[in-house]
Amino acid sequence: MIHLSSFILCLTGFAALAFAMDRPQHDLFGRPLPAPATLALRVGGAVSLLGALGLLVSWQGWGLGLVMFSGHTSLGAGVVHGALIIRQRRAARSN
Amino acid sequence: MTTDQQARPDGRGLRQSMSDLHTWVGLLLGWVLYAMFLTGTVSYFKDELSQWMRPELPAQSGVPDQAVVAQRVADELVALVPGSPQWSLRLPDARNNSVYAFWRTAGAAPGQRGFGEGNFDPATGQTVSSRATLGGDFFYRFHFQFHYMPVVWGRWIAGVAAMFMLVAIVSGVITHKKIFVDFFTFRWGKGQRSWLDAHNALSVFGLPFHAMITYTGLVTLMALYMPWGQQAGIKTAADRQQLNAELSAFIQPGKPSGEKAPLASIEDMVRHAQERWGRDGVGRVTATHPGDAAARVAVARGDGGRVSMSPQYLEFEGTTGKLLAVHEGVGPAAETRGVLYALHLGRFSDLVTRWLYFLVSLAGTAMVGTGLVMWTVKRRQKLPDPARPHVGFHVVERLNIASIAGLSVAMAAFLWANRLLPETLAERANWEIHSFFIVWALTLLHGVLRPAKKAWVEQLWLAAALLALLPMLNAATTQRPFWRSLADGDWVFVGMDLMCWALAALHAVLALRTLRHQPKTRPARKTVNKPAGGAVLREG
Repeated sequence: MIHLSSFILCLTGFAALAFAMDRPQHDLFGRPLPAPATLALRVGGAVSLLGALGLLVSWQGWGLGLVMFSGHTSLGAGVVHGALIIRQRRAARSN
Repeated sequence: MTTDQQARPDGRGLRQSMSDLHTWVGLLLGWVLYAMFLTGTVSYFKDELSQWMRPELPAQSGVPDQAVVAQRVADELVALVPGSPQWSLRLPDARNNSVYAFWRTAGAAPGQRGFGEGNFDPATGQTVSSRATLGGDFFYRFHFQFHYMPVVWGRWIAGVAAMFMLVAIVSGVITHKKIFVDFFTFRWGKGQRSWLDAHNALSVFGLPFHAMITYTGLVTLMALYMPWGQQAGIKTAADRQQLNAELSAFIQPGKPSGEKAPLASIEDMVRHAQERWGRDGVGRVTATHPGDAAARVAVARGDGGRVSMSPQYLEFEGTTGKLLAVHEGVGPAAETRGVLYALHLGRFSDLVTRWLYFLVSLAGTAMVGTGLVMWTVKRRQKLPDPARPHVGFHVVERLNIASIAGLSVAMAAFLWANRLLPETLAERANWEIHSFFIVWALTLLHGVLRPAKKAWVEQLWLAAALLALLPMLNAATTQRPFWRSLADGDWVFVGMDLMCWALAALHAVLALRTLRHQPKTRPARKTVNKPAGGAVLREG
């Protein structure tokens, strides 16, 4: 359960960080988001990732917690990236 | 690898130098690294693989009482190898349904193997009545010492390859100047650019893992690679003994007394350890000079749940069962090594963490694979005559086929051999391994003889077919087909079948993409790229 919550936090964290970047904003919204929205996404993403870290460390201690966090962040980032690629492909095909 | 296509008027910058270093360091031992990465990746499930490869051993519904099992197998060893100066048992746990034992043989003549090993059934204590196989340990050992060569040579090759990998990681990070800006960038159908994006994503997302695994891999064998500190500091036998106690629970035999005396109850010693570390928390029992009055027994803690391989063990007097010493901590230097060692092996992992290790390590394998293929993609565009590439290109291209697609075929063939070789075959366990290498050599031959694109496609299809059909072969040759495993809740066998199908699908997708791909020989930016032409696998 804690694994799942941590993974979801990593996933949402990276999604927020991705939406805060120029290229995904251009691909998804066709224009850059307003600066405050970008900042909010960036902060929210970072908080989400830190939340996952806190959850895992408080559950398993620093040793195991950090190892698990590293795994969840790698997988989370990979899944977000994969989703962005699929989204991009769909958009390219429908055009 | 660099993306910087612009000429530098002011000479070669640091980044360009690092890019060249990255390219050549990555290429030179890239094939070795790919094989190390992939066999290492599957080794995270080596115990499960071993269970699958010994289908005669029933699925374990729960961990048996380790104390009882230890006594049972110890009794068997006393009968089997009387006078052995040392033996050691790895007890069954959540992932192992057999007891692995290792022993030294008394009075081995020079040149003779001075040790033996075997797997024992926890329920009976007898040698397991299953087919002879090295199981998942083959991939595990191959990962750091290869095969058909002295172990030390293999470990040196693995060490040099790991050092190259470390250089490739550091130079790659310096070369890839836009780690954060390009974090989620993937440009589809842009040829070399797409390969680079994929290589970058696979590298960057798993970067903490890749750096950790390479560095800690070197640490696992550091005493072999850099023995001088130890040689300078450790001079006496007492020092060596102390060093050993810091590094391993595998206590070394001293001098036997020559006076016979039976071992006290091993069961009681393990019970004592269970009180300390929990019912399933014992990992290993080692006895030195069992049967002699000078016998010692060490009961060591298992690896579960602690990120350290530093030994924790109870040392008993063998003949009386009296607790002599409790080793539960080591010095800071030894502990540093213990933690780094544990990080590499990941044996502390629960199931989810083990899967995370596996997936990120698989990404690392793909990182090496995309790097290797990119070398040819980048250069194909510049070939004067793509139909007749120069020798270097030809060699790299063919080695890529055999070491990437061919390795998948060979690894699947190893599992097929496990199910197909007759149980009565002499040297059966070795023939499984020979099968692996014979098939791998054949893939190289095939890769050399066939046109490159056809070789890729055919080998990828073959790997997909071998993997997809493996569960059927298992169903036909054992009593544990998929449906029965599912009904019995035998998750090791269910997982293995599902994994085979998933990997078969992956290989099929790669085969299709390669098949559909039309290689371009002009620079990518000058041609119009159709979506199908932007296949992930641009090799061919």
